[in-house]
Amino acid sequence: MLKMLENIGAYTLTGLEQTGRTLNLLLLVLWELVQPPYRFYTIVRQIYFIGGRSLSLIVISGITIGMVLGLQFYSILERFGSVNLLGAGVALSVIRELGPVMTALMVVGRAGSAITAELGIMRITEQVDALECMAISPNKYLVAPKVIAGMISVPLLTAVFDFVALFGGYFVGVVMFGVAEGSYMNGMIDAVEWEDVRLGLIKSIIFGVLITLICCAKGFYMHLTKAGSQGAEGVSFITTDAVVLSSIAVLFSDFLIGAIFS
Amino acid sequence: MECSIKPEAGYDLLQLSGEVDMHFSPELRETILDKIKDGSPLLIDMGNVSYIDSSGIASLVEGYQTAKTANLPFGLLNISGAAMQVLTLTRLDKIFSLYTNAEQFRQEL
Amino acid sequence: MTDTSAVENAITIRDLVVDYGTRRILDGVNLTIPSGQIMVIMGGSGAGKSTLLRCILGLKKPTSGSINILGTEVNGASTRQMQALRKQMGVAFQGGALFSSMSVAENIQLPLREHTRLDDSTIEIMTRIKLDMVNMLPHEHLMPAELSGGMTKRTALARAIIMDPKLLFFDEPSSGLDPSTSAELDDLIILLKNSMRMTIIVVTHELDSVFKIADHIAVIGEGRILETGTPEQIKMSTNVEIQDLLHRKPRENVVDADAHLRRLVGEEE
Repeated sequence: MLKMLENIGAYTLTGLEQTGRTLNLLLLVLWELVQPPYRFYTIVRQIYFIGGRSLSLIVISGITIGMVLGLQFYSILERFGSVNLLGAGVALSVIRELGPVMTALMVVGRAGSAITAELGIMRITEQVDALECMAISPNKYLVAPKVIAGMISVPLLTAVFDFVALFGGYFVGVVMFGVAEGSYMNGMIDAVEWEDVRLGLIKSIIFGVLITLICCAKGFYMHLTKAGSQGAEGVSFITTDAVVLSSIAVLFSDFLIGAIFS
Repeated sequence: MECSIKPEAGYDLLQLSGEVDMHFSPELRETILDKIKDGSPLLIDMGNVSYIDSSGIASLVEGYQTAKTANLPFGLLNISGAAMQVLTLTRLDKIFSLYTNAEQFRQEL
Repeated sequence: MTDTSAVENAITIRDLVVDYGTRRILDGVNLTIPSGQIMVIMGGSGAGKSTLLRCILGLKKPTSGSINILGTEVNGASTRQMQALRKQMGVAFQGGALFSSMSVAENIQLPLREHTRLDDSTIEIMTRIKLDMVNMLPHEHLMPAELSGGMTKRTALARAIIMDPKLLFFDEPSSGLDPSTSAELDDLIILLKNSMRMTIIVVTHELDSVFKIADHIAVIGEGRILETGTPEQIKMSTNVEIQDLLHRKPRENVVDADAHLRRLVGEEE
């Protein structure tokens, strides 16, 4: 019993410590951002890495999710005889919820894990130390570009996801089940308010920062955790950890943002 | 770190003094390249150079290469001990034309 | 204490203590490193060599004590001061610590691109000069993953000296290298000292290179400096631990049979 309490306490402490470090990293990144030199090129490269190379994944998952939604909503709405609400249903759920969340989760799996592994390896092979010894701030050189790239590319990817998902829903509803095109499109346009788009945008920006920050912090501070002395195994451990943690963070903050803004 | 140009008979004498380091070598490079563009042979007096770092050496190398392409004489005068050691280490002493007096350079023109 | 006024000290360390958790890694280290010479810090593994190095480099904060590098007090230095100091220090890490996404040449140029406003052509030439010094010129386009151990170390050395630092740190130059490659590296270190007038600090446990390159040796053991002196002085040292280190005394064959048995079956003594 005592042992269990002890464990809970230890976990809580580690958790708090890591949260603190992550927030600290955010502050450091923000601080570095306002100081020259500005690294546009590095940021562009990171946007390509996080955004560009996730694009095909986003398109495929977007269209699949859109089609699944079309199917589900159609079979539900048909029971109540209101298939003309299909467009509205698909559009609202994609723009408000599924778009930002699914995109963020995809980016976590595709780019977040790579970020953690990269920084973790750089840490254990002394590359981060080397940067520091060259008087190049690792925060500014390594972490800041990734966080900014996350903040920019996740909303863009979300927009792509939304677009193809709506197309997927349209395809299932109109082309497969023969819902009238006019009622589908009009229902969609009438139902979606600026507020919904704004909510989706806010979510995706916050998710972008959140996942890159968590994944960066996990790798960057690897040496401060137990994994730091475990070499390659440690890297795999923190990578898994980062993916799990940032996925949970996305889902939980999705709820929080939803609760605050509606 | 000072650098002044004295036109001599048939060539320009670039007098360097002090420490040639990373702050100064961009200026050195520009001065050398400008002079070569003007088409005059260049002799660089290194006698008063107390220290030259690798960016300074690199500027000299680039100047020498540019002069060579333009078929212009390019010489280093009175290279001091410390600078000479750096040149030897980088095996550049074999590349540059080194002189101990300006007269020698003038005669070779 | 021979050097009083003739040689100024590049680094002065006073009463350095480092605790890691409850363990004391460094226990009151005092060390002065004279300018323009090669100081080898040697000691067995776990003696605290690398912790001492990390403290000097400002990568680890000591628990107490002071480190003065080129007149700057490292503890309590502002970020700006520390950056200025670091531009005068070059570090070749044990594993090279080359950036894997950049080629050999790009790795070496990074400090120049970050800190100077030199022209591209100047940077290119400087890079080639340094690559030529370490005999890596033919390999400038290779990626770090394609390099052998010796090439990695040489590239790391070239990167460490690209800014013409006053201080050069070399962590375990010969680890993982065959004897001839490691001897080449030793020659290079001596050459750098003579022609570039650097203060060079080498951390190693490799005896062959220690006595070949060192002007001064500091032997560290169990978190303390056991002795400092010239290679001759260290060879003549009467300190038992140093003699053990120098002669790699084989393990004692006579053991307490009972104690040994207990150890093998895992009973705590």
